[in-house]
Amino acid sequence: MKKAVWSGVIAAAVVLLGSSSAFAQQTAGASIAVTAHVDAKAKLSLSLATIDWPDADPDVVTVFTSAPVTVDVKARTSAGGNVTVTVLASGDLTSGTDTIPVNTLTWTAGGSGFAANGANDKTTAQTLGTWTNSGNHSGSQTLSLPNLWSYRTGVYTVTLNYTLTAP
Amino acid sequence: MRGPRPAHAAGPAFPMRLTVPVLLLIVLVAAGSAPAAQTSNATLNASINSAARLSLSSAALTFPDADPDTSPSIQAAQGPITVTAKARTSPNGTVTLTVRATDELRSGLNTIPASNITWVASGAGFTNGTLSATTAQPIATWSGSGERTGAHTFFFRNLWSYATGTYTLTMVYTLSAA
Repeated sequence: MKKAVWSGVIAAAVVLLGSSSAFAQQTAGASIAVTAHVDAKAKLSLSLATIDWPDADPDVVTVFTSAPVTVDVKARTSAGGNVTVTVLASGDLTSGTDTIPVNTLTWTAGGSGFAANGANDKTTAQTLGTWTNSGNHSGSQTLSLPNLWSYRTGVYTVTLNYTLTAP
Repeated sequence: MRGPRPAHAAGPAFPMRLTVPVLLLIVLVAAGSAPAAQTSNATLNASINSAARLSLSSAALTFPDADPDTSPSIQAAQGPITVTAKARTSPNGTVTLTVRATDELRSGLNTIPASNITWVASGAGFTNGTLSATTAQPIATWSGSGERTGAHTFFFRNLWSYATGTYTLTMVYTLSAA
């Protein structure tokens, strides 16, 4: 008698590795939206906060001259925006009731964008430097005051206020 | 179709009350005692095609304004971006992840080069880099199939020279499994 018997068989599991069609290049994508905020700001620094000229013989020292004052300007503004540094004196040089006109206190300056020379004023801010666009700028300013025999004795003071404007 | 019943079989092959489990038992016993066997092979084909999947923990990246003197490099407000890359590829096939900016950082007519955005990466296969609007930059490379996770922390170079504005761009990530 003939018996047909099936043995349970699973011979192989063939994984199609290496098939060119199965392994065509696959890609996946994603994206990120990036936002950077750049706001207006201005920063001004002076290397000196005080200038003090000791007394001197007018025949020997005809002009009081300061050490160079380094002026650092940093500004962020709109494209094409004007950046300006101005100086306004608080008044004339004053010692009690005696004065020396502040417009005799002059300066020379160096550095790109800085006014080469100027005179201080107590009513109208004087422009020390102008630039266009954002950026940082550095220059130096040297202040001078004639030393005249005509001055009355005293300790004369004035404050110079620097203003950086970046719209 | 069944063959003729043996001559000695006087009655029906199975009593009417014989149940199916009993039938199976009989067949198995017969198989165990058979001196010869016939085999047959069955082939199972499992197709595993290449595939790639990419996910990012954030869809937005923001750099807040800051003083360039105190923060010359601004970290993105979202912190590290987690990247999960899943890929099926051929054995030792190359899996690459790249990123490219769609444009420079732009605010109206003003631009800041996309290269002012950099990243520091962590995770096996991930590398540090600099964004570009012209060339896709590699973020990570691996070999073979698998799931990988890493993170990048993005930084924005903060300069005084930038014109004011709100600058935007889109970073496009591409995961390729060859």
